[in-house]
Amino acid sequence: KVGLTSYGQILTLSSQDIERLAKLSQGEVTGLKTAIAQQVLTHPLLTALDLQRGTKNCLQNLIIGKLSTGCKQIDDALRGGILSQGITEISGESASGKTQFCLQLCLTVQLPPEEGGLAAGAAYICTEDAFPSKRLSQMISYFRQRSEKRKQIPFGDNIFIEHVADLDSLNSCIHQKLPHLLSSGSVKLVIVDSVAAVFRCDYELKDMYKRSKHMASLAASLHRISSKYCLPIVCVNQVTDSMQSIGKKNIPALGLAWSNQITCRLSLSRTNREVDLPRIILKGSVIGGFPTSIRTLEVVFAPNLPNLSLMYVIDQEGIKALT
Amino acid sequence: MQSQRELCSFPIAPSHKSKLTSAGFLITEDLKHLKPSELSKETGIGLEECLEILKLVCSESVDGSKRNEAPKPAVSALERLKEEQSLPPIITFSEGLDNMLGGGVPLCKITEFCGAPGVGKTQMCMQIAVDVQIPSQFGGLQGEAVYIDTEGSFIVERLVDIAKATVDHCNEMARLEGFKEGEITVESVLSGVHFYRCHDYVELLATVHLLPEFIKKHPKIKVVLVDSVAFHFRHDFDDLSLRTRLLTTMAQSFIKLATEFKIAIVLTNQMTTKFSPGEDSRLVPALGESWGHASTIRVILYWEGQKRWAWLYKSPSKKESRVPYQITMGGVRDIVTFPADNSNDQSDDEPSSKRQKVS
Repeated sequence: KVGLTSYGQILTLSSQDIERLAKLSQGEVTGLKTAIAQQVLTHPLLTALDLQRGTKNCLQNLIIGKLSTGCKQIDDALRGGILSQGITEISGESASGKTQFCLQLCLTVQLPPEEGGLAAGAAYICTEDAFPSKRLSQMISYFRQRSEKRKQIPFGDNIFIEHVADLDSLNSCIHQKLPHLLSSGSVKLVIVDSVAAVFRCDYELKDMYKRSKHMASLAASLHRISSKYCLPIVCVNQVTDSMQSIGKKNIPALGLAWSNQITCRLSLSRTNREVDLPRIILKGSVIGGFPTSIRTLEVVFAPNLPNLSLMYVIDQEGIKALT
Repeated sequence: MQSQRELCSFPIAPSHKSKLTSAGFLITEDLKHLKPSELSKETGIGLEECLEILKLVCSESVDGSKRNEAPKPAVSALERLKEEQSLPPIITFSEGLDNMLGGGVPLCKITEFCGAPGVGKTQMCMQIAVDVQIPSQFGGLQGEAVYIDTEGSFIVERLVDIAKATVDHCNEMARLEGFKEGEITVESVLSGVHFYRCHDYVELLATVHLLPEFIKKHPKIKVVLVDSVAFHFRHDFDDLSLRTRLLTTMAQSFIKLATEFKIAIVLTNQMTTKFSPGEDSRLVPALGESWGHASTIRVILYWEGQKRWAWLYKSPSKKESRVPYQITMGGVRDIVTFPADNSNDQSDDEPSSKRQKVS
């Protein structure tokens, strides 16, 4: 009646204002706010023990699991894989393997939970080069061979690819196209490759404040999707030159404004060492048999992991830790 | 006295402060007999905001319990001191950090940890959520914690790591001092952390609104942690004065909680880059200058090379100082510098147990 229509409005207005506007007493307003607050809460207060055990009307989407990366050693180092909620960023210089990693996740997500997957497909949003379909096909054929059960899964059918050129189309993809896919439950992984491309041009120096705001809004939308549909978001980021004379020569692009929005940051880089991969024949296909660069995967920050780093290589199957 | 107090010392949005100053309003006295409409005309600040400012500044006409500076029934300073000293702080497991803070994270106050991503804010919160539960025979508060997660970085397996290390430590102390072991277990620690996940600022406001009732029902609660306060307030707000007002109100609610229930409030905040004309850009805590008044104690966590440092930036009783710290498998710890240190992933590598007892 007085124009207060959303829960948000009532909770954000001061009590005095509501008293004045709606001609209610202080006690009534407090009662009103309490009732609304209880409605707003999406889950009752639980204990960490409830969370751990998944008991006591613990909403399923509060339990954060892991998505396997496809390599057991990497999974072990990451304590199971990437977090199944929140935004995981994969940053690195070009040709370090970021897209490889994403493609691999598009396959593992389709595995059943017992094998570290989320039993659904992936939405792959490309902002840069064309989607590497050939490479994906190659990886799928190798991935399938590993077990009989995998041969049943039509991996290619469950990866939905969208190309967007700029921030506006990225936002409309996220707000309009994605929800359709997600509400049917057929997708449990969203990849944005890359976030950097969308923000690295188009902004002059004086617009930096706007850029931060746009980044924050994008991240907020992604987080909302992640919590609502209970799935991981993976964002690929590029690197830029570090201005420091000591330490790393590259740092992730997009600055502090973006770093504050993500849950976990993984960094991929090439070393200048090489290794000869031994040639193995598995079920008729060749694995290895060529020299390749040794690369490193580093956990820059994650709420559940120390700052570890491990070495990996990329072969026909994809990314695997160097043993 | 009160009426000579400068207006810029109140938590008013900077844009309003400058408007007040340019209209000639510098101290409380200047605003004393003004109506909101008059103030609005003079300064060009909106009517609603003028009402807020006048209420904030002229406390005599408003229910005093809303303002943290409001005079309560007179308590002598000595009584206050005795009260404060009778409430032990929450010890972290870093002696350096505890010493810097004057014993640990204090009750009845708001302690804010600010830092860039990855420096350890969430780890600090989890550590405190576990440490508040340390049994009283080891100098702990034997309390419970409310953990409000706004970023989605509360991962139970990590809390379990920290809980395990603390439980092992307590059991070891029990053994050394002849107490019964098993007073505290990983399960008891997990069940003592009450968790809420906020997805936006409205949920956060709602949670804070319902906290007093919750704490009354769970009197063992001795700390409320919010990780982080900044996350939902840094976008979605085209109207910054609304944001300031909400943050100020929230801060007041926290202070009320802290003093009424004698609990500690621990908040984490992000860092942002501040560009000042003519100066190099630097990192400052987010949420603006008016938020800076909200916390009693502010600790800035930062990296210097490969080491993490905690810098006591603001405190009513301790002087500004810095200590290095590290994050191990078991949680937040001092950096142990002697060569015999066995800092590997498995062990919780703290020095001798006796320092943990608060004497």
